[in-house]
Amino acid sequence: MGSLRTFIKDVRGAKTLAEERSIVTKESARIRTKLKDDHLPQEKRRKNIHKLLYLHILGEKTHFAQVECINLIASDDFRDKRLGYLAAMILLDEHQEVLTLLTNLISNDLTHPNRYVVSLALSTLGSLTSPELARDLYPDVETILARSTDEFLVKKALQCAAKLIERDASLLEIFYPYVGTILKSHHLCTHGGLLGVVKLCQVALSCRPQYEYDNYPEILQSLVANIPELFSLLQDMNSTSFNPEYDVGGTCDPFLQVELLYTLRLMFELAPQGTDRYKNKLNDILTKIATNSDGSKNAAHAVLYECVRTIFALQLDQSLKILGVNVLAKFLGGKDNNTKYVGLNTLLDVVPQEPNAVQKHRKFISRCLFDPDISIRARAVELTFAILNDSNMTELVEELLSFLKGSDDQDKDLIISTVNHLVNHFDSRTPDQENWAIDVMVQVLKVVGQHISLDKVSEVLLMINNGQDLNHKLQVIQQILTVSLGRLEGVVKGDNLAWKLMSVWCIGEYGDILLQKNIFSDTRLAEYLSALNHMYSDSIMLIGYVLTAALKLSSKTNNPGCVEELRQIIMGHTRDTNLMLQNKSYQYSIIFNQPAGLKHDILGAMPFFEKKSKGGSDKVSLQKNMAPPTKPVESSLLLDLLETSPPRNPPTKFHNDVLASQVENDTRTAPLAGNGVYASVPENAAQCYTSSEMAVFMRIKSVGPEGAELELFVRAVVPMHNVQIFAAVSKTQKLILGTLSSASLESDQVCVQELRVSGSGKLKFRIKIVHQGSDMNLKTEQFDHKFDQSL
Amino acid sequence: MAIKFVICLNKQGVLRLIRLFEPFPGDVSNNQSTIAQIYKLVSSREHKHQSNFVEFSDSTKLVYKRYAGLYFVLGIGLQDEELIYLSHIHLFVEVLDAFFGNVCELDIVFNFHKAYMILDELIIGGEIQETSKDVLLERISHLDRLN
Repeated sequence: MGSLRTFIKDVRGAKTLAEERSIVTKESARIRTKLKDDHLPQEKRRKNIHKLLYLHILGEKTHFAQVECINLIASDDFRDKRLGYLAAMILLDEHQEVLTLLTNLISNDLTHPNRYVVSLALSTLGSLTSPELARDLYPDVETILARSTDEFLVKKALQCAAKLIERDASLLEIFYPYVGTILKSHHLCTHGGLLGVVKLCQVALSCRPQYEYDNYPEILQSLVANIPELFSLLQDMNSTSFNPEYDVGGTCDPFLQVELLYTLRLMFELAPQGTDRYKNKLNDILTKIATNSDGSKNAAHAVLYECVRTIFALQLDQSLKILGVNVLAKFLGGKDNNTKYVGLNTLLDVVPQEPNAVQKHRKFISRCLFDPDISIRARAVELTFAILNDSNMTELVEELLSFLKGSDDQDKDLIISTVNHLVNHFDSRTPDQENWAIDVMVQVLKVVGQHISLDKVSEVLLMINNGQDLNHKLQVIQQILTVSLGRLEGVVKGDNLAWKLMSVWCIGEYGDILLQKNIFSDTRLAEYLSALNHMYSDSIMLIGYVLTAALKLSSKTNNPGCVEELRQIIMGHTRDTNLMLQNKSYQYSIIFNQPAGLKHDILGAMPFFEKKSKGGSDKVSLQKNMAPPTKPVESSLLLDLLETSPPRNPPTKFHNDVLASQVENDTRTAPLAGNGVYASVPENAAQCYTSSEMAVFMRIKSVGPEGAELELFVRAVVPMHNVQIFAAVSKTQKLILGTLSSASLESDQVCVQELRVSGSGKLKFRIKIVHQGSDMNLKTEQFDHKFDQSL
Repeated sequence: MAIKFVICLNKQGVLRLIRLFEPFPGDVSNNQSTIAQIYKLVSSREHKHQSNFVEFSDSTKLVYKRYAGLYFVLGIGLQDEELIYLSHIHLFVEVLDAFFGNVCELDIVFNFHKAYMILDELIIGGEIQETSKDVLLERISHLDRLN
């Protein structure tokens, strides 16, 4: 059995992983056997535990030796104790039950005459503090604080006291007086001792919610009374003649300074009244630190940074806040990425408080957009959006654009969030900069379109669609298509589907203007569509757009060859394996063959599109489009054709069957039925729709977890024939339509339709009623209705 | 404000020192995979051009620094002051360097228990307890002679 050194050498010398494993496993087994031997000499025992600790670093299981560590601690030999405590700290954590075995041992050692033994016990207690240990051992720790004159023991005991209070807040009562006594003891007040004192203060301040006795105000007062001492410590450390022993790159003990500042912050936060009289002094000291520490080293920055955090956490004077923002801006201007990172992070928190002061430093912020560190870039983007307002919009968006231009694939998430932000930002703005906004978004798609989801592209298309300035719009479209059709290689990346989608859409929507102005020939446009149709057959959304564009373009050209090419594109998908494309191409092929006049009407220009706001109101806007029965559904037809819509009715009535929207999937038609005409609507039925021809009511007959039964009543205002009722529910539900009591109604007659819904979710319906009026034309009315009840 | 863990890894991701002041979040029995994640995160960052801070989980941020072939990594809370912990690492490394005399990875491999001893004089229960290099060195050399 070799020494620790040989063992480590053997492990390191292993040529293969398997060899290393075998050495480690063998040694582990050997240690296990050896430790079981009660007659093993102490020296061998220590060697084995040393090896065991090495096994722990290697990631091996070491639990079998937990009791052995405790045995070592129990030994009288200092070497045994030292190793035992080290092993305990490394191998145990405070949730292990073995810890209870330690209680007595630590207690004995805390009162041991040898100060090194006491020191070991304190270190271990500081690392492994369970609430039980805290309750059992606090008297020993207190004795050390009260009696010991050894600065090493006192500083450790202070840290331990803080840990004990963290575990059991009621111990605060025992330990808080030592903050004052140690601060007054010149001998014990070394920097190590001070670190312990401020730690004790911090814990005392933050354990308030857990502290159960009612003398907390007194404790707080006694802590606050130490503020002048803490002030003078800070001042001394920031004077020119500080103790060189604690010099870290020109700053005096940044560790203690940061802890002192943090402690003061907690005091001022938690005792606003008690500390009020010290506030001016605090302002002075912080001003001094913020203006004087001009070191460029990390240590100086750490102190400055904590100083600024204190200024903003305590909401100090305006002048200090501005000073704080300037310090952070200086951080951004430097070369050190660490200070840039914390500077940006803090500025992000500070922007809401001091927007104008942060504004002033936007040059520095913009510079961080191009930093090599992605976490800095990400924060700079976020900060840029935080300071974006009307006056600096042009400048900052230009910066963001050049950031996007310089970005690469690893920035994908950042790009996506930037684009989302931009879209939302433009969305909430007034339209006076509409042209510019469109230009920006087109640029964005050009440079990073490959990363943007195709859904986001529709937002850009909406912006173009809704643009008021026609000349500008034409210019934009011309630019887009010049790039796409001109095969300007390299300008747009091959996988930039977003850009292609936009080009296709432009061809579909604005093909007529392009052809009229002779900007592009119809064959070029058709060729482009055809090429994309072949190249991107796996992108369903793009192909959907290609189909729509082909259909629209076909109504705008008379060139037979070109029309044929477009027809081929559409017909090519009538057997597509994707059901949505198949449907679409089938429906389009029907429209394709309509007479030119009708086709022109159907495929007219898109109206101004009101954006759906979030939540439920989208239904309303849809309804607005659908409601006027005089205007055939063409305006929404194309919108809806982009969605799934199983064709049901004969082709002649095609524009009625595309109403199903994406929310609904379970659409049923009521079977035609007998002649049960009702005379009236029950009183508890809610009116949910009225028009010049009918009034519709609904009521819930029963609702429960297994399903709901409802009735729908239609009261005719004018005579109606062949009434058909269609209904749809949300995806999580199933709908069964019962019989319609009567399909023909005279004025004021009522018919009733039964509905049964099962599934889960809110009860909401989309109802479509088709009927023949007295002039024998089919009329459709549609509405949504929502109940408060859910399944 | 407290250090959650101190680990030291070499450039290949081999663990050299580990001290947990609170257990790693998640599965306690699976410390190895947490360490592997830390290594992956830290080693993938550019030494020169990136900051020394990186978010690790929704409660932990890493402050790390590479000295020659060794990464020293501290786990701290998200709200903690990052810069000062960088100074913690530096102080630890300075003391190691002074104690071993131009410290290298092998010193730490073969004398890991001494490195732990130094750590225990610098940090107690995740809190810094001594900031003077002179005090630390004197104390450590004294402890080292107590055999």
